[in-house]
Amino acid sequence: MNSQKNALLWHGLTVFILFMMGAGLWVATKKIDYTWRWNRVPQYFVYHHEELVPAPYDARVVSIENLRDMSRIKIAGENGEEGVFDVDKESLRVSEDEDLFEGDYLGATFEWRAGPLLWGLWTTLWLSAASSIFGLIIGLVTGLCRVSSNLTLRNLSITYIELIRGTPLLVQIFIFYFFLGTVLDISRIVAGISALAIFAGAYVAEIIRAGIQSIPKGQMEAARSLGMNVPQAMVHIILPQAFKRTLPPLAGQFISLIKDSSLVSVIAITDLTKSGREVITSTFATFEIWFVVAFLYLMLTSVLSQVIAWVERRLSVSD
Amino acid sequence: MIKTVDLKKTFIGRGQTVYAVDGVTTHIKPSEVVVVIGPSGSGKSTYLRCLNGLETLTSGQIIIDGVDLTAKKTDLNLIRREVGMVFQQFNLFPHKSVLENIILAQQVVRKRKRGEAEEKARMLLQKVGIAEKENEYPIRLSGGQQQRVAIARALAMDPKVMLFDEPTSALDPEMVGEVLEVMKQLAREGMTMVVVTHEMGFAREVADRVLFMDQGKLVEEGTPEHFFTSPQEERTKLFLRQVL
Repeated sequence: MNSQKNALLWHGLTVFILFMMGAGLWVATKKIDYTWRWNRVPQYFVYHHEELVPAPYDARVVSIENLRDMSRIKIAGENGEEGVFDVDKESLRVSEDEDLFEGDYLGATFEWRAGPLLWGLWTTLWLSAASSIFGLIIGLVTGLCRVSSNLTLRNLSITYIELIRGTPLLVQIFIFYFFLGTVLDISRIVAGISALAIFAGAYVAEIIRAGIQSIPKGQMEAARSLGMNVPQAMVHIILPQAFKRTLPPLAGQFISLIKDSSLVSVIAITDLTKSGREVITSTFATFEIWFVVAFLYLMLTSVLSQVIAWVERRLSVSD
Repeated sequence: MIKTVDLKKTFIGRGQTVYAVDGVTTHIKPSEVVVVIGPSGSGKSTYLRCLNGLETLTSGQIIIDGVDLTAKKTDLNLIRREVGMVFQQFNLFPHKSVLENIILAQQVVRKRKRGEAEEKARMLLQKVGIAEKENEYPIRLSGGQQQRVAIARALAMDPKVMLFDEPTSALDPEMVGEVLEVMKQLAREGMTMVVVTHEMGFAREVADRVLFMDQGKLVEEGTPEHFFTSPQEERTKLFLRQVL
């Protein structure tokens, strides 16, 4: 009871400190000349798109029929063509029996469309997902090579890991795009995903290696003594246990990968970061957009954390 | 059944060559229970591990059921499924339930159908006396229960020989009995067994033959009566004085 009361107090202090920091920031931004325009942000998520409907040929309006909130326009062309168009009632620009020239607007239709921020979020999401999957496969294979008894496989995997871990991701992305992109004629998306996957793969390989080596030797011996060969023992005994142990560091790696994916914006892939930059050029709402972009990344990463935590709970039944 | 000829196993560490097993020659007959005893570091565990190829020998020959283990073209995996092994540390698969522990190798190695493997597993769990634990995970079992599951797991492969590597050394004293009881029952059923143990009582009661090893060498062998009542070698006498 007592400790619970104390805990509440400490949580209260935490909230207080965070609140003070926020207030400090607010006061600081008050001192500079910046107008916050949060109202400009939502339209970059979704917006109401107006699609003007032109007459396809010279024609006469035969009839206008009122549907619920649309108007159905029937037109007859001079050469006997007939056409039916639905436009928004509010946007109706013609009346019955009116003569139209080709290209005259009959009205417009409206639809909700995803804005650049939502597209950017989507691009970041699938880019990270694709590179995570490839990274995991590359990492798994490399990790297995790393613990293999074959010297060549071990040398190759060590070379790969050292090469990737020793150079900055940004430089790797440039090399993939400018060098490999040119030599192998691959698109920027493929270059981006490969750079991220190969980068992540090196780290995943080390995590997998550590996981495999953390499994007691007796497990492999028990599996072998039952007549399993090494691949069978790996698949059924070692890797499932190693996977469970490496889940927390793997989660950290994939969360890093989501954040690192922002670097592909330098090769003009319109991910969340690049979308943010583009929106800023048209709104000048620099502060707001960067905060929003940060928040969106935070959402992606925390959803991933939750998913991994759930998998961990599922796997902990044998503990 | 198992023939070892001048078996040698050396480890090289820090520039020193250690003779873990130094020229052991013996012949284990079908349905024979052979107990290997000796002081720590005498190479008895290493000898046992050589018998199913967990250690590669330096020189010598092992012939199991007419198959030369050291021949290049011998598939060790084929031999191992005929030779069951029980470890000091149980080595159950912690991510699988008791039943799955026993089923897995049957399916993967022996290619048995799930139903058949399950039936076999339940029968063996009954035999080792823990049928009610089939859905538990190993971590929730006591040491004695884990070791009995490990024995059932090895038996599920229908081995011709069972190797026991100090099966009771990691157990609480009060759980030693239940494991030894299972092993005695196996011996009575005519299983060929090689047991490395410090349980002199078990050796005396169950063994057909006792091997005494020291410093990698087979010092003395004989029936339990001979071994415990009138040992010939000085080293054996010294050892027995200290443990009995």
